[in-house]
Amino acid sequence: MSERILFYCIAVITILSAVGVVSARNIFHAGLLLGSTLFSIAGLYLILGTEFLAAVQVLLYVGGILTLILFAIMLTVKLSDKSIKQTSEQKGISICISIVIFGILCGCILKTEMANISKSGIMTTPSDIGKHLFVYEVLPFELLSILLLVALIGAIILARKEEGEK
Amino acid sequence: MISIKEVLILVALFFSIGVYGVLTRRNTIGILMSIELLFNSACLSFVTFSKYYYPAFLKGQIFVLFIISVAAADTVVGLALLLCIYRKLKDVYVDRINIMKG
Repeated sequence: MSERILFYCIAVITILSAVGVVSARNIFHAGLLLGSTLFSIAGLYLILGTEFLAAVQVLLYVGGILTLILFAIMLTVKLSDKSIKQTSEQKGISICISIVIFGILCGCILKTEMANISKSGIMTTPSDIGKHLFVYEVLPFELLSILLLVALIGAIILARKEEGEK
Repeated sequence: MISIKEVLILVALFFSIGVYGVLTRRNTIGILMSIELLFNSACLSFVTFSKYYYPAFLKGQIFVLFIISVAAADTVVGLALLLCIYRKLKDVYVDRINIMKG
């Protein structure tokens, strides 16, 4: 029962901060709310029993991607931007589209007859994940390392100053 | 015990909030942040299905690890492109970046 209460608390925090991310007027506040969303997603991973993924989520998303996004905001947004409207004119139709998507997904979820099994208590340790990764998924893993290298080089080439530029 | 449908409805709500953000944000960084929300909802559904239906089978969790790494790579490239555009046009709002319009 207490697990259920905890789940609902974290779910409410997640949804509220996600709404903040998409609707905050100040883009910097949206970035900070994104951090709170990512933290509560890590909490949901903990409740679901995947501790390793929760740790990876905090390390990579909150520690890496969020820092990157906040730095990009600080580099690009001028202080006068606070008064600029952050949402486009298609607000109404976007609300309709997202409500329709939510309705379709909910309808599918509620109509599907899923086997009423509860979450199993089997623990998966990081060493299990590592063994599985290096036994069955070696090729995707190596491809991923190439992808990260390419992204790194591409980002450096794109973001550096060109020769003639001052 | 939390049933699988509650988690999946949370995922659906989270996903539609992300879609709304992608459609309405004018700031490019805002769009990137909304895309992160979409990635996270997909990850959460992978973990949920993996934990409820195939608890001893680690494919779901490994897939989430891959998604997180690919998300990191695409955020890096996206932000580099954004900085590049900002240096050229001094703007980050998508409706003003229209130099390709004939």
